[in-house]
Order: sequence, then C-alpha cells, then structure tokens
Amino acid sequence: MSRCSLFSLPVPAGAPQSGPPGRHLGHYPSLPPGYNNTPASQGAAPPMHPPMQTAPSQYPPQPQLYQQVTGASRFSLPLQGNTPEALRVVNLLQERNLLPAGPIPAPTPPLPQDLQKVNCNPEVFRCTLSSIPQTQSLLNKAKLPLGLLLHPFKDLSQLPVVTSSTIVRCRSCRTYINPFVSFLDQRRWKCNLCFRVNDVPEEFMYNPISRSYGEPQKRPEVQNATIEFIAPSEYMLRPPQPAVYLFVLDVSHNAVETGYLNVVCQSLLDNISALPGDTRTKVGFITFDSTIHFYNLQEGLSQPQMLIVSDIEEIFLPTPDSLLVNLNECKELVQDLLKSLPHIFEKTMETQSALGPALQAAFKLLSPTGGRVSVFQTQLPSMGVGALKSREDPNQRASAKHLAPATDFYKKLALDCSGQQVAVDLFLLSAQYCDLASLGCISRYSAGSVYYYPSYHHQHNPAQVERFEKDLKRYLTRKIGFEAVMRIRCTKGLSIHTFHGNFFVRSTDLLSLPNVNPDAGFAVQMSIEENLVDMQVVSFQAALLYTSSKGERRIRVHTLCLPVVNSLTDVFAGADVQAVTGLLASMAVDRSVSASLGDARDAMTNAAIDSLASYRHAALTIQQPGLLAPACLRLFPLYVLALLKQKAFRTGTSTRLDDRVFSMCQLKFQPLVYAMLMIHPTLYRVDDLSDQGALNISERTIPQPRELQLSVEKLCREGAFLMDAGSVRRSCNPSFLTQVLGVPDYAALPQNMYQLPELETAESQRTRAFIGWLREQRPFYPSLHIIRDDSPQKGDFMQNMIEDRTESALSYYEFLLHMQQQISK
Amino acid sequence: MVLFTMIARVADGLPLAASMQENEQPGRDLQKYQNQAKQLFRKLNEQSPDRCTLEAGDVSFHYLIEHGVCYLTLCEAVYPKKMAFGFLEDLQTEFYDNYGRKVPTVTRPYSFIEFDTYIQKMKKSYIDSRTRRNFGSINTELQDVQRIMVANIEEVLQRGEALSALDTKASNLTSLSKKYRSDAKYLNTRSTYAKVQPHLCF
Repeated sequence: MSRCSLFSLPVPAGAPQSGPPGRHLGHYPSLPPGYNNTPASQGAAPPMHPPMQTAPSQYPPQPQLYQQVTGASRFSLPLQGNTPEALRVVNLLQERNLLPAGPIPAPTPPLPQDLQKVNCNPEVFRCTLSSIPQTQSLLNKAKLPLGLLLHPFKDLSQLPVVTSSTIVRCRSCRTYINPFVSFLDQRRWKCNLCFRVNDVPEEFMYNPISRSYGEPQKRPEVQNATIEFIAPSEYMLRPPQPAVYLFVLDVSHNAVETGYLNVVCQSLLDNISALPGDTRTKVGFITFDSTIHFYNLQEGLSQPQMLIVSDIEEIFLPTPDSLLVNLNECKELVQDLLKSLPHIFEKTMETQSALGPALQAAFKLLSPTGGRVSVFQTQLPSMGVGALKSREDPNQRASAKHLAPATDFYKKLALDCSGQQVAVDLFLLSAQYCDLASLGCISRYSAGSVYYYPSYHHQHNPAQVERFEKDLKRYLTRKIGFEAVMRIRCTKGLSIHTFHGNFFVRSTDLLSLPNVNPDAGFAVQMSIEENLVDMQVVSFQAALLYTSSKGERRIRVHTLCLPVVNSLTDVFAGADVQAVTGLLASMAVDRSVSASLGDARDAMTNAAIDSLASYRHAALTIQQPGLLAPACLRLFPLYVLALLKQKAFRTGTSTRLDDRVFSMCQLKFQPLVYAMLMIHPTLYRVDDLSDQGALNISERTIPQPRELQLSVEKLCREGAFLMDAGSVRRSCNPSFLTQVLGVPDYAALPQNMYQLPELETAESQRTRAFIGWLREQRPFYPSLHIIRDDSPQKGDFMQNMIEDRTESALSYYEFLLHMQQQISK
Repeated sequence: MVLFTMIARVADGLPLAASMQENEQPGRDLQKYQNQAKQLFRKLNEQSPDRCTLEAGDVSFHYLIEHGVCYLTLCEAVYPKKMAFGFLEDLQTEFYDNYGRKVPTVTRPYSFIEFDTYIQKMKKSYIDSRTRRNFGSINTELQDVQRIMVANIEEVLQRGEALSALDTKASNLTSLSKKYRSDAKYLNTRSTYAKVQPHLCF
C-alpha cells in the first residue's frame, strides 16, 4: 500500500493521491461506519465519550478539574518496569490529562555530563530527535522526521565575545573550534565534524580570560557552545555597510482611509533615536499610489522636497544621492517629513497602487549599500509591473487553491535584492484579499519578514491598532544584522537537504540573509547518508556571519552535540515532540503548495499514525490494547490535530486565503517557541489566581496557574479564562468583574474591551502581573481581548478549543480512535 | 572622480576606515581594485615612499602615508593628481585629529568606519564644480605633485612576489645542496665498506 508521507519524495503535482479513502480525514462520508456513531459533542456540552465513561474516576466532576495534577503515574500501565520517563507507555485513549503543569521542556540528550553541561541551549538549536539513529534504515523505522530547528539570532542575555586575529577553524571542513572537539595533545586538536587533526596555533595557547599559557582547553571558544567572534578583515568582501532603512509607504485613498500612516509616522518619530545604528545610519522614504513619490532630504534644505515620478514603466531615481540621507545630519528634515506626511495625502482620491514599480525604485536606491526596506501595503497592487488580480473566490475557499504565487515578479525582484544585500519586510494592512501568496515572495527570498493586520482600521479596530503600534516599536528598535550569511555544518555521514525559513540558498548549503533579525527561525531536514557506526556522538554547527548596526563584522557560532543510538527504543526515547511538530508543520506547508492541502493534511495524519504504529510494532515487547505512545510522544497526536485545525491547514470555507497563507508563512519562519504557542495555545483559569507556587521575578509576584486542556469541558460559567494564543484572549465571570475588570455586573461589561483597569485589589494586581509576564516572554505584543460569553468574538476563542469537535473537524477523542483504527489495521 | 577611499594602518595593513562605493558603474569591477588595495596595504612598510601614484589601466591609485597611516584613493586616470592629493591631505588632517591617537591600539578591522561620513562629504565637495574653484588656491600650496613617484600597481604587487619566489628558489637550492651532501656522505661510506669488506674476508 503506497501511502502519502512527508518523508518520501514529494509527490509530483497532478499525481493521483495515494492512500485509501479512509485515510482522508475531513471527508466525513468516507469515515468508517463505527466512527460516525460517536455522539457529537458540540457547543458547550461537556464531551463525554462512551468509552471514557467506563473510567469515571478519571473524570471528576467539573469544579475540581483544574486542581487535578498530572502526576499521572496512577494511570500509567505498569508493564515495563525500569524504563525512563520518556518511554513510559501511555494509553492515549485512557489517559486524558496529558498536559504537564507548566511549559514543556526540550528533552535532555543522554550525553556524558561534561558534554551536556556545555551543550547549546535548546531554545537556540535543537533537533527533532535528541538521540540520532545510527543508520538511515533505523530512522526510516522510527517514521519520525530528522531535522534541526534554529533560532540563531535570538536575543541573549549573556554572550561571550572573542576578538582574535586568527579564528581557529578546521583546515579541511572549516568548522569553528568548539567544546566538542578533542585535543590529542597540547598542540593538536581533532575536528568533531570531519575528524581531521589540526594544529593548535600559537596564539590559541594563551588564554586571555585566565591569562595563563598552555591550556587551549580553557579558551572561551572551547568552553561555550554559543559564542561570537569579531571577524578579521578576511571575512569582509567590502567594508562593512552602514545601517540603511528605507520606508515605502502606500498612500492611496484606501491606505489613508485605514489611518495607518499616522501610526507609522508617529512610531518613527518616537523611536527615531532608538533605531539601531551609528553615525553612519541612513534613512529614506518613498510613497506611492499610481505614481512614485521620492523625498529629497539633503542637508541644507529648509524643508523636505517631494519629487513625483509618474513614469512607472521605466522607473528612475530623480536625484540619486539625496534621497537616502544620513540620519544624524538630517534628523530635523526627517522629522519634518514624518510630521507632514499624514497630512499631505489626507484628501487623496487616487485609488490605484503601483507597488511593483515602487519596489523597483527601492531596490535601485538601496543597491549600492544594501539595507532594509519596510513596505506598508493596504491593497492589491493594480498598476505597473507586479500588478495582481484577485484570485480568491469565497465559494472555492474549501479547495484552498492559489497557495502558489501568481507571478514570479516578486520572487525575481527578491533575488535581485538578495544579491545586493537588500531585505524587504512587508506589512500588510488590509481588509480585502491582497494575494499574500504572491506578495510574500518579496520577503521570503530576501530574508525579510511578513506582518499581517487583517481589517486594520484606526477607528473600527482599536485592538489591531494597539498591536500594530507595539509591533512597530519592537520592529524598529530590535537588533538587526546586515549582509549576513549562515552555514550549517554537521558531522560526516549526516547530510542536510531541505531548508525552511526566509532566505535564499546560495551554493547548496549557504543561506544568504541580507538582513537577520532576532525573531527569525529556521529549520533544516537531514538524512543519514553513511552509517554512523563507531560514533558515540555527532555534532551540528551553525555559523552566522553578519555586520552589526554599528559596522562590526561578527560571527555567531552555535554548536550542538547529540548522542548516536542504535536501538529503536532509544530513538523514540529521544524524540522531541515540539521540534517534530514544528518541522512537520514546515514540511506540510511545502507540501500544500507543491501538491495540495489535502495531501499535506493526510501526510501529517500519517506521520502521527506511522510513528505510533512503528512504536507499537517494533519498540513494544508486550502487546496491549489501546492507543499506545511513549510518554515523550504522548502529545504528538494532539499537536497533529492542532495543526490540522490551524488556519494554515484547516478545511472548510471560513478561512480566507490570505489568512491561510499568512499562517503558513508564520509556521515557516517563526522560531519554535512562538510557533508552538500558535499551534497549541495555552488556556489558564484566571479568576482564582493565588500566590501559591508563584514565581518571584525582581520583586514581582507572578502567579502560575496550571495549563488547561483546550476543551469546552474545562470552561464554566462562573470562571474567567485566559487563552494565550500569541494574542491573549479571555472569556469571563462575577466577583472577578468588580475586583479585576472594575465593572459592577456582567451586563455592564462592554462588548469591546482591550485593557485591564489598574485597580488596587490583590486580584487585579495578580492578573496584571501574570499577563504582563506572559507578554514579556515574547518579542511581539499580544493584544488582549476581553470576550463576554455572548460576544460575537466568542467564535475566535472557541476556534482554539482544538480538542472539541467542530463542523468540519474531529474531536481529539475521535481523532485518537481514527488513529487506533489505522494502526491496528 | 573618486571611486573609493580606504584608510589603513601601515604597520600591519589593518583597514581602519573606508568609504563604500556608490554609483556603481557598469563594466567596472571595483571588487578587483579593492582586493589590490588590500594587497598593497600588506606590502607597505616603513621604507615605502610616503606619496605615490600607482597606475592600473584607466584608473589610478593615489596614496599618502602620514603618522603610520596610509590614505588611499582610487580615481579615474584622468582625474587631476593635484585634486586627488588635496583630497587625501584633507582626509589625513581630519582623521589624525579625530582618531590619530587610537590608531596603534585597535585590533578590529574598520574600527573607525564612522569616518565614512566625512569621506563622503569631502568627496561630494570635490565633485561639486563650484567648490572646486576654491580648492584651486589650496592646491598650489601643496608640494609639487609632479615629483610624486609614479609606478604600476601590478609591478608593485608582483615585486614582493618575485622576491618571495626568489626566496623559495634559494631555499630550494639550499635543501637540494644539503641533500646532495648527505647523499655524497652515504655513498662515500658505502664505497669505504666495499673496499674494506674484501680485506676482512681474508
């Protein structure tokens, strides 16, 4: 039986979909008969499935639900005596409370302690399998994807920086010296990636930290898995470029209507001194509607000069050297422009949008230096090159067509940009269809980012405005690296074959990143080309070479070391369920575009089925009934189901095409931590916050409520709940109303409430402390929606209840039954 | 017209500041010239002439050395030498005032990259024809630029290579002669044994 799987070679488009009809989830008529008999649990009715009622002790009455602890050992099957926790057998059909009380940590690889102590932080660098299988056939047996997930430019609180005239690297594979190399003697070290023996240079014998001689093992390079080097001049093709920021703003009638221009200009005015850079920093502005407007900001002018180019067929720069100006010297002119910009176009009647020519102009302007272009767009581009037509037909949404770009203009331009070290970030603020699938290419291949604010309007959508303001602040002031490249190396025998994220792959394994930002994540897939026999451990190294905003060329190196194992049980024991889910999501996005959404959905479902089937048949010695999973993978079916219900992959006609495409973009370029929040939001009950078990961070008490399952059964009328889904949402209750929300009764609660009043009550302080703490943990500002039980926004809240059944998708329990059926086939 | 400008420490050729090339001209590979400039910095030493023009086809390098810092610019060959050296003198004064004392201690390449802003400003004022007239008077005060040494960049860069080639050849000869010596010794002993052996048999 040939079956659709993500690990096999991509199915060519148009090839018949493989797999029996029963495999296709979401096609209800084709479900096995027994399946449809499960009573539908819709709305707020607590889902009680017949098979589960046989074990009532696991389902205590509602009010005690959230006090229940997951310790869960009393549910585990006492079959395999001395197995590690990761391999504890869990019968998913019986064990309901799978979520741990707090965040799920990455598995710790079974390495000797001295190696693990210096290993790379899993938030920066982690592998889907924290124990690497010895052979490809073993990997194939496990049916789990092998890949790395990286967050290479993450903001770090502590980072050792080394300046030395020679950076010690392997002479044959160019690996940077790292904690996992071995020293044969004082003068020679053996590379851990290609095993070549290298000489230790004289300079390396001296340790600048301890100021001692003759201890190369004590150097910071050999003590830290994450380190940054100040690069010598051999690492520069040209003098380091200055920080250059160009803003390209849509000023058509539609754009002015949304009122976004005020926010952008104000935000820039507020943060202009906080833009990363030095005295060389340059800025420039372009606005566009049916024509392109440039702004001469040259020193000495009394006010900014607007230059209009109406020939959009062949775009040219009116005065090439005064459009991009030194921010320090022309700050006043820039501020003048920012103050007047929103007013210039107040009364515009121009509805057309020549985005393509505006981008060409931006490319021309930046190509001598490189830098960052920030494009703000509010509608479908309608004029000049790159004009697009609406492809979305609301009746055809279910088929999820048009995930691929309509034109290659944006990709080609992005590649030109990449060649000149220019990255394009796209801010899309629109209520209408904008064809993000096509527009997004401009950022994807130039290593930019995409931000999307659907239905942005300054009056009608205040929550969106707040989020936009906060996001802009973060965007403008966060760290940035220019003219960057990243290379990922791994031990001989392993090979990297597919990359995920926003970049352009230059020369097989070199990622070209005109800009790199601290909120960008990457993933790679790997295969095992040669058997890793005789190897105890393998290593992976990611090196990111970039120019800082201060004109310093730097290299950030991360090295990860993992053990090699030769038994299937050990491979399963090391599975990192979040990393697996993250990589699977990226692979499924590719599959949706190259084949079809249905194909991608099947592939994800099969990934869960296959891995658990393989675990059952090959790793378990004693067969027992039920749907069995090792403890480390117990959340895998839940995460896969969550992915199937994600905007990116869900079926049905409710998902707009742009929303779907944006969700796909996010899954591909967000670092794993943030992607996981999106995939599986966390739900807390917040009307009974207490200081018990609270965290204490710099004299603030942060309550730590436990995470609840995403099911309506966890909600109740008298509770108030907080859902952390990237944007924080909450639903509501009574004593809570007066103490925290500051309203006398439920009826007085307004429909649209986006902030918590600052009350002097203990409850209010606790709640605000907790929400504040959640917000601090992520770079972008999640907006807070206070949702009443009868509010129209309740739908958004309920959509995230992924364990419940919806019109077009299975409940968690139904999904488990489906899996079990497939496995026991 | 000035194409690019670089400033480096003479002692070790460490680049200190540079001006990014602008208005990239079609058909001219500035990268090649930048590499030549970097090689040149490595060749320079105490004995190098402190003012020199190096021709490279339709462009010329001009450099001057002052206080252990080399100021180099690449210009079109037709660009007046007088102007080029006037430009370099200006840079030198400004650079020395601002960073002169820090030069010997820095280790990071392009430590003074922020000087780029000043270089660009100067470059612009030298391009501007109106201000050009004003510079005319200053330039006459400069030493007679005609006396500045002119050489070819390829020759200068290869001079070192020829020397190092000679060096390697010489060392090759030494090792060969050593080998000859030891071979000869070995043969000598062997022939001695051969002579002595028959005697021992008796």
